[in-house]
Amino acid sequence: MGGGIWVVGEVDAAGALTKVSGEAATAARALGDAGGREVTGVVVAVEPDGAAASLAAFLPTVLAVRAAEMADRAAAAVVAARIVALAAAVQERPAYFVLSAKPDGRDLAGMLSALLEIGVLVNATGLTWDAAADSVPAGPRVEMQPFGGRVLTSSGFTGERGIILLRPNMVTAEPLAQPGSVEECAPGEVVDLPLVRVIERVITESPGPSIEEARVIVAGGRGVGGPDGFAGLRELAGLLGGAVGASRAAVDAGWIDYATQIGQTGKTVKPAVYLAFGVSGAIQHKVGMQTAETIIAVDRDPDAPIGEFADLFVIADLAAVVPALAAALRARAG
Amino acid sequence: MRIVVLVKPVPDPGEERLGDDGRLDRSVTAVINGNDEYVLEAALKLVEAHGGEVTLLSMAPAGITDPIRKALAMGATRAVLVSDPALAGACSWSTTQVLAAALRTLEYDLVLAGADTSDGGGGVVAAGVATLLGLPYLSHARRIEPLDGGVRVERLSAAGHDVLEATLPAVVVGTQLLGEPRYPSLRGIMGARAKEIAVRTLAEIGLADRPVGGAHATTALLAARQPAPRGSGRVVRDPDPVAAASAIVDFLVERRAL
Amino acid sequence: MRLPAGGRCYDRRVVAAPALGRLTDDQRAIRDAVRTLARDRVAPRAAEIDRSAEFPEDLRVLLAEQGILGLPFPERHGGLGADLLTVCLAIEALSAACATTGLILAVQVLGALPLLLAGSEEQLGRFVPGLASGRDLIAFALTEADAGSDAAAIRTRAVRDGETYVISGGKRFISHGSVASLVTVFAVTDPEADRHRRISAFVVETASPGFSVSRLEHKMGIRGSPTAELAFDEVRVPAANLLGAEGDGFGLAMRTLDRSRPGIAAQAVGIAQGALDVAVAYAGQRRQFGKVIGEFQLVQGLLADMDARTEAARQLLYTACEEIERGAPDAGRWSALCKLVAGDAAMAVTTDAVQVLGGYGYVDDFPVERMMRDAKITQLYEGTQQIQRLVIARALLARKP
Repeated sequence: MGGGIWVVGEVDAAGALTKVSGEAATAARALGDAGGREVTGVVVAVEPDGAAASLAAFLPTVLAVRAAEMADRAAAAVVAARIVALAAAVQERPAYFVLSAKPDGRDLAGMLSALLEIGVLVNATGLTWDAAADSVPAGPRVEMQPFGGRVLTSSGFTGERGIILLRPNMVTAEPLAQPGSVEECAPGEVVDLPLVRVIERVITESPGPSIEEARVIVAGGRGVGGPDGFAGLRELAGLLGGAVGASRAAVDAGWIDYATQIGQTGKTVKPAVYLAFGVSGAIQHKVGMQTAETIIAVDRDPDAPIGEFADLFVIADLAAVVPALAAALRARAG
Repeated sequence: MRIVVLVKPVPDPGEERLGDDGRLDRSVTAVINGNDEYVLEAALKLVEAHGGEVTLLSMAPAGITDPIRKALAMGATRAVLVSDPALAGACSWSTTQVLAAALRTLEYDLVLAGADTSDGGGGVVAAGVATLLGLPYLSHARRIEPLDGGVRVERLSAAGHDVLEATLPAVVVGTQLLGEPRYPSLRGIMGARAKEIAVRTLAEIGLADRPVGGAHATTALLAARQPAPRGSGRVVRDPDPVAAASAIVDFLVERRAL
Repeated sequence: MRLPAGGRCYDRRVVAAPALGRLTDDQRAIRDAVRTLARDRVAPRAAEIDRSAEFPEDLRVLLAEQGILGLPFPERHGGLGADLLTVCLAIEALSAACATTGLILAVQVLGALPLLLAGSEEQLGRFVPGLASGRDLIAFALTEADAGSDAAAIRTRAVRDGETYVISGGKRFISHGSVASLVTVFAVTDPEADRHRRISAFVVETASPGFSVSRLEHKMGIRGSPTAELAFDEVRVPAANLLGAEGDGFGLAMRTLDRSRPGIAAQAVGIAQGALDVAVAYAGQRRQFGKVIGEFQLVQGLLADMDARTEAARQLLYTACEEIERGAPDAGRWSALCKLVAGDAAMAVTTDAVQVLGGYGYVDDFPVERMMRDAKITQLYEGTQQIQRLVIARALLARKP
């Protein structure tokens, strides 16, 4: 039997497991079932128990590693060193790692790749297991959508090992019928990577569901015209029970913060409804939201690219439509 | 400050395609990866404020110099291009080893890299490079500030940002929040011709007999197809905003979103 | 429909590019850099500039910062020392996005040429640094209400008074007259002399007392470019601002136009290319009778003719630039040829572009109606098409058999 599959749980600043980790665990389980490989979760954190328990909802076994250093050291280096030590210590060395494709996961993947001398497949939008083919042995097949989604590719590892980074919101997390067990683990001999001190953690964003988890997103682009325009979008988002997103143009212009940016260099979202105002729909943005179930766009430019893939394209002046829509929604509710 | 900026020539976004051999078609017009322009801008601002030089480091086929010339035109001092036929089809692990080996031949205080690449790259190489060189690694930067013998970085977090510090030399990965890259001035363009692009083969960076390059790729593309097009949508053109709003509400109801 | 509406562009690709072989690496790099700037920063402003008829000061600042306004000036005084073809490449690239913006560089060339052709080193040192940095704009004031094509008939007078000249009179249709800080003024210094020896050229600072802008024209096209009527009420100009010697003015004006007309040809080629791009994109997407209209031969015929005319005008322009730059004895003929062909091409191509777009071509949702209005001026200024023909015919007839 080949080496197992490890899912590294991603832990947020509060010590909680991020949503994508459940998705990664679900995808890894499917791989394990198809390929006959054991799937294990790993959580490395200052206080790993909570996140490990959350990950155990999805995996039969989760290894929890306590790392006090993460309190004031940049996480990736601490986690990578311990994962490598743990991987060397266990009976059967893991063959595959499934991580989040978010920035923390990418940092970790790069370090693991160098420490373990194995390859990485990034931005996975789907994972399957397949028998051997041309240049690759039986193993994971990673689906990606490079070039702004114009192509769908399937890739594999030429060897028996590899690291896979999964994009958020591509796989639906499915918990096990019975949660698995958490095992506290000390990784043994850890060779530390150069450590980076965390001097301060600054909280500026209001807590609340991130746009990656919102069911409805009301997004604004260049056509919104300024920060004031976003007030109207916030109101709509409130009325629809959703979150506010933005295109890069609006973020670059300083009208709204980067956390709301959707697209190639921002977040990927898969809401039930994506309602876009003044968003041109250029490819860099499209990649971040094209899998939304329903896309509605409002823009006064009949040639905006978003018109080509929106389910409903309303050619109108958004400055007038936004308040009119808010009024219509209020009337319905009232 | 001696800063090395890792730059990757990529196909012009929107023009990327796969060749018949399943590899990225390199004959398409190449530009500097968008994210690399942001860190290059940050590097140029740092040397403008604190003195020093910016060197570009790239791994790419030999003929692709236009994007590097443009980066030189923005203000970098020189470029080092690692080029070798063996590198065609190289995976990110090879790239990591190549860039680390090339950095071992250079002198620097700071290595900057962009977050990820528009041609499908995942932004994992810089972390690997830092690991191979035993350097501190600071990522997702929205601000970079030199300190005496060190660097301070504001790293984006889910809730705001973390302030990180490390000694130099270090590897820093930046984001678009570092600031809009400048257009190269025409003077810069005309001056770029005189700047050096030093080409290095694998042997010249000490990787002659190492398993790097396309023949040793750790990953392989197995299939590529076009995704199914999203069905054509409805268009509403109504000068009356109330009617337009009504159309939206009706559509949301139809789609069971309300 | 994926088209640039009203001047806004998404990822618009220029449909045609000149054969790369004739451009040097630097020329190609500069052309590409100006194209990128034009696409990203100029094109989004074009419709609004036309609608508001306001001079785009923000774009002047941009062109200055990027060094584009420094292209025509000698390096030793802060310019980039670019050759005529390179300057024309920049004008062409800017004009494809916005004719008014392309004109900013073209008028800078026109206004500064008398200084560059006849100025002393002292004068160059005084004026060029400000021009090359783009801080100062310079206009060309030759035309008067009663002296257009008949330039020798101007009446503005410059009377010597000790170490100054006193200039009185008026000028009409002066591009940038209201935004320039310097004006090259042609005035009569010797009313008794031969027709072509009566006139002298001066560099006048518009801040001088007695200088005023008496009116701005409301124009068909290039509406963002201020076209001014200038009044000179005993404006005192230092004798040190005389370009060349007294009486050199008419010859200097003609030599200037020989070198500046290619700039207008470049503007015309740019406008034509911009219109062609819009028409091609439209033809590829507009559907009628179950097909994209680009599949209909009558439309294909229009597009092909538009491309042929644009490319022919472009190649002639580039050749003219090369000939003029290398000092060809019949530079005047080359200059007139390229302006004649390009101006007519721009008018024809933009008219056809409106035709391809049909009703949509007539409304300002699409930029082609603006481009057609912009194109007309290229058949009129810096010498009407009729004057160009005279210049060409005279050059032919003057040739020794």
